[in-house]
Amino acid sequence: MTELLVIGAGLTGLMAAIAAARQGARTRIIATGMGSLLWTPGTIGVLGYLPGEDEPVQSPFDALDALRQRRPRHPFALLDAQTLRQSLDAFRELVQSLGLPYRGAEDGRNLLLPSPVGAPRPVFLAPAGQVDGHMGRPEPYLIVGFQALRDFYPTLIAENLTKLGLKARAEFLPIDLITRRRDFSPIDLARELDAADLSRLTNALKRVAKPGERIGLPAILGLKRHAAILATLREALDAPIFEIPTLPPSAPGMRLAEALRAHFELDLRGRMDLGLRAIDFRAENGKVAWVSTRASARPVRHWAQRFLLATGGILGGGIVGDPTGQVEEVIFHLPLNDAPQDRKQWFHRDFMGPTGHRIFLGGVRVNEAFQPVDAEGGVAYENLWAAGGLLADSDPIAERSLEGVAIATAFRAVQRMSEVTP
Amino acid sequence: MRRLETEILVIGGGATGAGVVWDAALRGFDAILVERRDLCHGTSGRFHGLLHSGGRYVVKDPVSAAECIHENRILRKTHAHCIEDTGGFFVVTPEDEDSDYPERFRQGCADTGVPCEEIPAALALKQEPRLNPRISRVFRVPDASIDGFQMVHSTVQAAREAGARIFTYHEVIDLLMRGGEGDRRVTGVRVRDAARDEEVEIHAAMVINAAGAWAGKIAAMAGIRVEIVPGKGIMMATAHRLVHTVINRCKWPSDGDILVPAHTVSIIGTTDTPVADPEDLRIEDWEIRKMLEEGEKLVPGFMRTRMLRVWAGVRPLYKETAVTDDRDISRKFALLDHQERDGVAGFITITGGKLTTFRLMAEKTVDRAAAYLGERKPCATAETPVPGARHGYYWLGHRLREVEDGRLQSQLICECELVTRGMLENAARHNPTIGLDDLRRDVRLGMGPCQGGFCTYRAVGVIHELKQGHAVTPAAVDSDWRAAEFQSPAVQPPSRAHAAEEAGYPDDLFNPNLLLRDFLQERWKGVMPILWGQQLKQEQLDRLIYLDIMNADHLPDAGLRSPLTDFYHMEVRGDASGEEPHD
Amino acid sequence: MNLDAWLSPEVSLDQCIKCNICVSYCPVAEVTDLFPGPKYAGPQAQRFRMAEQPTPDLSVDYCSGCRVCNEVCPNDVSIMEMNAKARAALVAEKGIPLRNRLLGRNELLGKVGSYAPHLANFALHNPISRIAADALFGIAKEAPLPRWSTTGTFVDWWEKHYPHRRISDKKVVYFHGCATMYYEPFIGVAAVLVLEHMGYELIVPPQNCCGLPLLSNGEFKAAGKLYDNNLRKLGPLATEGYDIVGTSTSCTLTLKEEAPHLLGRHDETAEALTHAVWDIFEWIREHEDELPRDFVSIEMVIPYHPPCQYRAHRVGRPAMDVLELIPGVEVHESRARCCGIAGTYGYKKEKYDIAMKVGEELFSFILAEEEHHHTEYNACDSETCRWQIEHGAGQDSRHPIEILAAAYGLYDLETRTAKTA
Repeated sequence: MTELLVIGAGLTGLMAAIAAARQGARTRIIATGMGSLLWTPGTIGVLGYLPGEDEPVQSPFDALDALRQRRPRHPFALLDAQTLRQSLDAFRELVQSLGLPYRGAEDGRNLLLPSPVGAPRPVFLAPAGQVDGHMGRPEPYLIVGFQALRDFYPTLIAENLTKLGLKARAEFLPIDLITRRRDFSPIDLARELDAADLSRLTNALKRVAKPGERIGLPAILGLKRHAAILATLREALDAPIFEIPTLPPSAPGMRLAEALRAHFELDLRGRMDLGLRAIDFRAENGKVAWVSTRASARPVRHWAQRFLLATGGILGGGIVGDPTGQVEEVIFHLPLNDAPQDRKQWFHRDFMGPTGHRIFLGGVRVNEAFQPVDAEGGVAYENLWAAGGLLADSDPIAERSLEGVAIATAFRAVQRMSEVTP
Repeated sequence: MRRLETEILVIGGGATGAGVVWDAALRGFDAILVERRDLCHGTSGRFHGLLHSGGRYVVKDPVSAAECIHENRILRKTHAHCIEDTGGFFVVTPEDEDSDYPERFRQGCADTGVPCEEIPAALALKQEPRLNPRISRVFRVPDASIDGFQMVHSTVQAAREAGARIFTYHEVIDLLMRGGEGDRRVTGVRVRDAARDEEVEIHAAMVINAAGAWAGKIAAMAGIRVEIVPGKGIMMATAHRLVHTVINRCKWPSDGDILVPAHTVSIIGTTDTPVADPEDLRIEDWEIRKMLEEGEKLVPGFMRTRMLRVWAGVRPLYKETAVTDDRDISRKFALLDHQERDGVAGFITITGGKLTTFRLMAEKTVDRAAAYLGERKPCATAETPVPGARHGYYWLGHRLREVEDGRLQSQLICECELVTRGMLENAARHNPTIGLDDLRRDVRLGMGPCQGGFCTYRAVGVIHELKQGHAVTPAAVDSDWRAAEFQSPAVQPPSRAHAAEEAGYPDDLFNPNLLLRDFLQERWKGVMPILWGQQLKQEQLDRLIYLDIMNADHLPDAGLRSPLTDFYHMEVRGDASGEEPHD
Repeated sequence: MNLDAWLSPEVSLDQCIKCNICVSYCPVAEVTDLFPGPKYAGPQAQRFRMAEQPTPDLSVDYCSGCRVCNEVCPNDVSIMEMNAKARAALVAEKGIPLRNRLLGRNELLGKVGSYAPHLANFALHNPISRIAADALFGIAKEAPLPRWSTTGTFVDWWEKHYPHRRISDKKVVYFHGCATMYYEPFIGVAAVLVLEHMGYELIVPPQNCCGLPLLSNGEFKAAGKLYDNNLRKLGPLATEGYDIVGTSTSCTLTLKEEAPHLLGRHDETAEALTHAVWDIFEWIREHEDELPRDFVSIEMVIPYHPPCQYRAHRVGRPAMDVLELIPGVEVHESRARCCGIAGTYGYKKEKYDIAMKVGEELFSFILAEEEHHHTEYNACDSETCRWQIEHGAGQDSRHPIEILAAAYGLYDLETRTAKTA
């Protein structure tokens, strides 16, 4: 019998399943499809902006109190700074052991990494392949793009970096240094580099690079052989090399997703089944007995001792809103926080305004054990936990806290879960 | 101040103005058109997409109906490539059964010459499986779908090729007048070039006010009262085409009774609310509900299908006498010869009407202008196909076919609507644009399900590289203005930028950060009121892209504005959405 | 409202949020420019297609139908089905080439060849025939075509076994499918051995081809006849409440959903049939408590590849769930996306190379397992996949039901015969 069934295959679901499996629990993941890791740039944001503030947060840990003041029921308010730190340390150790090292700033402050338009992204941890882009470093930037790669524009990036007061310039290289194909995404290019002899590329880079520069490339530096490709380039150019994320699909995101998945399935003998959409459940005596998924001919029932819901809010599809203003958690119909049930209250007129949109603060309310609770604070189901973007009172996209919320809440939920005897 | 001279000056870059300048140019007049924003920014860019057969008016307004069918036939020849020959149905739903309207309709068609054939409902349902199976009667008419942007662009190109000059982003700030009591005359206009921020005087023998819903404001500059009742109506687009035929309710015209296939979407419309200001484009909740309910009567399941966008357009209804219901103001057009009507020479207003009859309106207008200026050549518009018409009718798959044939997949900038880099670069080169929204009107950038999620970034990057000389599509010596073919991936000839028009545009106008912000906000404006279900999830992904990945809300040049920045931030709902959310 | 019109897979295009996850995992788009990817060919192109106009995009023909896209899509877009219908429309416009008509008539070919299997094998598998078939019909000369059984059909064996079959109150119906019937009767034998060992009496009623090859190639009328015949023969059993298990994941999927959906059959008998059909390991897993645990001592590492059809069955990987119950058997999942054959895709001359490139990650896995664990066999539930794996990796492939039968000491994995008591 499965001990823990995780519903959702995003960063939250994967981290929770890995944590549980490491403790020896028979763990399974079911999900409709892959999660949002494939879209995100593979960096770990803990807190980039406080609600309503324009200036980036310097140090997330120093800003936690201010966050809790403004959003008293934020997931970060349900756990203490030490737990948050532990969860991030656990993440770092894990990815290091998987050959995908992540680093942060020495002093615990946010890094500022160039975005695909050259704006400063505040992130707490970045993969080794992106860290050298940190705006706090002194080297001038050379941003290198490839002609007709539609998901990356080096001159735009360089121009905006210059406007920020940094020294930056751009160069173009021909795409046939990487591929002869006519139709490709960043993932395709990364795969081509996995198989390629890199000497043509390094020679071309050497011709355009100037001494002392650090070189920013689109995030296409391999999937399986990323570390080796990075090392080869760094050695050949004798310069810092870093990736800048592209429009989705994200190669750094895919590397992380696939590394976590492989670890779960191969090292921890976990089972992950995609293409299984949860449609129904049965509860007996206050406990969830099974969750059923849609299948050909008849739904499949998944029994487990414990269930963790990591279906990811509106972005993940765990929460949907309908034309009448109803907002709903789709599997268990768990009570949501006071997300406005009137569509007129959902949005602000400005798409990118600092106040954000109220609808995105909606989510499942949980207690400090990360169990969904109803309006009176009673636990909905004894053996059900929830974590990640699904949770109430945070807008991780606006806060730039997506990954931090995922990692910390997954960590804490599994921690609290294991304190309870089944 | 710059000064230009011409014979006929046309105010307004919608269908009417385009038709007038085209007709005038073909007749040999020197003509200039000025438009305050981009071509089709007004009503012609916000309409239903319907080329009327006239069926809608056969009972209520038979004169309009006869005009419609007459013009319908002409436009199918002159503007074939803007038209999709969808045909139309007038359907009797269960709600309409107890009425004598269908018989009056049939008779009205016969009387006005609108071809009308009753077909078995079962046949209609076979052709359009998603129609309401309880429809009892169906009449087939030659309605069609027409692309207003394409139509106006091609017409304006035809005018250019005949020697006319076209100035967009030139707003009329005053009419030049001369003379006193008894012999007043309009002698031209003073316009403000919004892109270069300078004023220009244009002197003309005849000024034609084709400013649509703003015609009253223009006339007022000459002290003339022209009462336009702006009639606001909303339209909603579904994320894909539900039916491929124009569907009309067979009843007295009212709200939400037409469903039109338009490129890759279906458009339901519309409402009719008099507003004080032609800029009042607010979408009300009751209007959205009404559209959903009415759509459901035509296509059961409509209320649950994914909605892509909602917008409002303002009809220019000319109020000659008092009428009770503004919807009953005639759809006929009004040609106001101000010399006769108001004692002001050199000034004509053409207003009212429908997009379908734009050519006829233009013909009557230029006839009147020619009566004053002296005849040149006769009107040729009915027999002169505009550039692009040679391609024949639009068909839904044409872009996909061209992308396939040309192996242009990797060139796709807007994947949803199949816009290639070549299309975008050529449109940017040849059509004076100051924002991505202008390019959207040219090539349909951002008009698909992701509503600019992916292509906004790419388009900004492409335009930025273009301005810096890194275009991918090679430039050569030819300088054809191929606006008529902006929408064809296959027909993107190498061409030279219009140096004359672009010279002097300040760099700031093409600031990529400004372009990005403006277009994202523009897309949001039309999506926000219909955001639920899967479109809500889409927008959240788009937010992930522009906030988390791009950090586009923290770009330099935050203070820059374009002439349209405020327009995109305007209130779109009559409610409290402007307030701060409470935490 | 017209439910059919709203339930058809094309309507699911509205679910797409253009996120590109499908594009990142498509094994065909990864290896060739001829296929622009599932997002492009599916929900994106669908907005430009309509019944009354010619299909604008020929590139959709290069979709292999592996359904990796469906599986990774977080939005329930029925990409593969949308592509399949577009391909069918293309076929209807261009007319069905003779090759596809031949490949579609699996049952007929099987039956004809079974009268003189040695001759048939010789006629098909000699170099000249293969070159001719390649040149005339576009059937890739290297592609792994099956061989007719030279020891009789499955039904021949069943008729001999019938007097000795287990009699029981618990009964289950077996659907063998064309491959087991004419090419690999031993698969059916292994299935019977296991099911009888579980205490069930087998019923093998008259039945015919499920019609999948015809459906895939757009011959809906001919496929409809086959389906209706199966409804006549199996419908009554389904209505009476018998479970119908099959060892071919493609046949069971066709009977469960592909045939009724594509042919628009929604009547009561069709529904009953859908609800009665099970993949054999799906069924065994459901009856896990009836599975005897008297396994013989067996030590093996089995590299296992779940066939693409499981993505449509959406039952997870039941063969793994069951095989993992056998002590001593270690199942290593391939984690590869597709073997490449994808039904009849890899048999087509213009697609053969693509199919082999797609299958490369699976072949490498099999070879690596062979090297590290000295494996003798790999396992896969679909016959065409097994033939492709044998062709691409050069290692013998077995149906997991054969592994299970062998684990009970009832079956010889090498000779693929029942062990006489």
